[in-house]
Amino acid sequence: MVRDYNNRHALDQKLRGTPKPANADHLEVGHWQAIATVLASVGLEAAVERALSSTPDLSLRYCGPGEWLVVSGVDTPLGLMRRLDMLCGTQAHVVDQSDGRVLMRLSGPSARQILAKGIGVDLHPSAFALGGSTNVLCGHIAVNLSRIGEDVFELIVSRSFAESLFEDLMTMGRPFDLSAAFSD
Amino acid sequence: MASLITCPHCGVRPKEEFAVRGDASLIRPASSASDAAWHDYVYVRVNPRGRTLEHWHHVAGCRRFLVVERDTVTHEVYSVVDGAAAAREVRR
Ligand SMILES: [Zn+2]
Repeated sequence: MVRDYNNRHALDQKLRGTPKPANADHLEVGHWQAIATVLASVGLEAAVERALSSTPDLSLRYCGPGEWLVVSGVDTPLGLMRRLDMLCGTQAHVVDQSDGRVLMRLSGPSARQILAKGIGVDLHPSAFALGGSTNVLCGHIAVNLSRIGEDVFELIVSRSFAESLFEDLMTMGRPFDLSAAFSD
Repeated sequence: MASLITCPHCGVRPKEEFAVRGDASLIRPASSASDAAWHDYVYVRVNPRGRTLEHWHHVAGCRRFLVVERDTVTHEVYSVVDGAAAAREVRR
């Protein structure tokens, strides 16, 4: 039997054809970006972190000791894997997550208030600083949260949880008139 | 139950992010130990009132096993350390 294989985004059905105008508080779902997990070998955590953070277009998201999500907006998934293999060599295990994770960017004056409804972490800039990132529970879904601006947060979630998280975020943002669309 | 746990890797987190995995003070018997010793290790647990050592798994955070020392009566948390660090301490 011959089957057609379609590479669909996890939120394709939710967001396809949504009107573009964004409200003040907006949820932007990344359409295509490269994401990989890097797990450093025991004892080499600092060396791997140095190698990764010395590369300008790679964004490093902390998951746990010696473990990061690496996000690139300029590489293809394959290109990112090649770059990480070159950077880390045998010092770390690298796994492509570009199709395994979904990235969402929540921005706007009420972003913090929206997230506070589901996240048990203090999001005040003095506690969760710009550039900070961490794994955290949002409602009942584990996500990686990072602050990339004063009022701009990125959430990276497992693909199979993306639809639930999306619905939760839209419910959390309803009083603030949260809008949503694909990024490009 | 203690509702806020200070993870050494993630900071202060609500207990919902963790799974409690039981007594952390048990020491695994040697593989040649008697059946009785193994039975006790695998099945027999005390149900202490007061200070206890437990394994807490930070499932929704760093996914590391932690050793939490807390009081089952007052809910006070005395210490939280990474499980690997605690194991190294014991071996020493
Ligand atoms: Zn943690």
